[in-house]
Amino acid sequence: MALSEEQVLGALGKIVDPDLGRDVVSLGMIKDLRVTPQGQVGFTFELTTPACPVRDRFKTQAEEIVGSLAGVSDVQVKMTANVRPSFRQQAAEILPGVKQTIAVASGKGGVGKSTVAVNLAAALGQSGASVGLLDADIYGPSVPAMTGTQEQPRLVEVPGAEGKTERKLVPLEAYGLKLMSIGFLAGSDQAMVWRGPMVSRAIQQLMSDVHWGDLDYLVIDLPPGTGDASLTIAQSVPLSGVAIVATPQDLALDIAVKALQMFRSLNVTPLGLVENMSWYTCPSCGHEHHLFGHGGAERAAQRLGVPFLGAIPLDQEIREEADHGAPVVTSRPNSTAATAFRELASQVAAKTSIQSFRRLPVINVR
Amino acid sequence: MRGDNQLLIAWEDGFQSRLGGKRLRWACPCAECRGEAGVPGRLDQTENLADPELQLAGVSLIGQYALQIGFESGHATGIYTFRHLRGLGAE
Repeated sequence: MALSEEQVLGALGKIVDPDLGRDVVSLGMIKDLRVTPQGQVGFTFELTTPACPVRDRFKTQAEEIVGSLAGVSDVQVKMTANVRPSFRQQAAEILPGVKQTIAVASGKGGVGKSTVAVNLAAALGQSGASVGLLDADIYGPSVPAMTGTQEQPRLVEVPGAEGKTERKLVPLEAYGLKLMSIGFLAGSDQAMVWRGPMVSRAIQQLMSDVHWGDLDYLVIDLPPGTGDASLTIAQSVPLSGVAIVATPQDLALDIAVKALQMFRSLNVTPLGLVENMSWYTCPSCGHEHHLFGHGGAERAAQRLGVPFLGAIPLDQEIREEADHGAPVVTSRPNSTAATAFRELASQVAAKTSIQSFRRLPVINVR
Repeated sequence: MRGDNQLLIAWEDGFQSRLGGKRLRWACPCAECRGEAGVPGRLDQTENLADPELQLAGVSLIGQYALQIGFESGHATGIYTFRHLRGLGAE
């Protein structure tokens, strides 16, 4: 009896996506299935993110499961990824070409939020996704220095609503990322002495007046705390989710919880907690020191019922590369720090994919 | 529903709200209406609102947590969280 497509799909239906909690066939991840009478099977396995943490496991599983079917002589699996937009109907007035928006927040300053945001964006970009990075910190923009970019963005005319043309800012590019920061516009040494409403307006313009184009992910580096900037972002765009950065210290964690509470009250999904400055490996003795305590963020995540996304070491390389304007994931890709950031990016991407299956409210005026 | 001056909400769990402009206007959560920092708001000090104040004019989505509701009088500063709207009941 010849092998049928149904048999192959039936077998593949036993593979369950751990984050989405459903089988990969009903999720529509199996595409272009071909079965020849000689028993050669080929298909495309389309992941919801190129940074999928279980990519290799899926491939092996698929090959084994299909290969063990009676009558199969050969299995060819092609792995691809197509980032799906968050929310099935997107309110696309602001950021029309952006599929997923990921905010990086913290309760306190100085916990390494920008470092995490830059490296998260760079790691997502390395995985093959198109990524933008928006620096929403108006008072203390860090993205220009951390990416070594400092130019005045160009203006471009793009077709806007009702056949009119609109003038928009072109994001700068570095390390394959599209970047925008108030630091490019005002000059990095200029202090922005502004009250809250000006900050809100500036942030809205950094989203709406910038030609972001088509992006799989827009990472938004928020300023610390629960003030104007974070509130404006949460009100203006349907965020796919927010990753909250904290150090393992109790004090920092207690305040990170406030950021979490804010986003929860605004219905923004917490993607999880990131523990930065988690450990320090002594260069002379090789011992791991937990300067700010150990496992604090993981315990806090458990207590708060949010995922723990990963731990990043306190590492001289990260700091040096940031000061030189290079994300450590690109400049020292084999370092412990880079590996930690790539794992973090995978976790964030996986948690973000879940958002594609949520729906936003629909407004009809009759 | 413009003609009926009503906002219909079909909630995910099947619950339905049918809220009139008058009900919504008096439930406006904004600082001007409710007062802030110990200063009483407008709705605490008045018992009557003119008709354009009660006529719904528009509604827009705020992030993922609220609706901003505008009235014919131009008053549109109220951001009604979904929790608040649900708390207003079915009618």
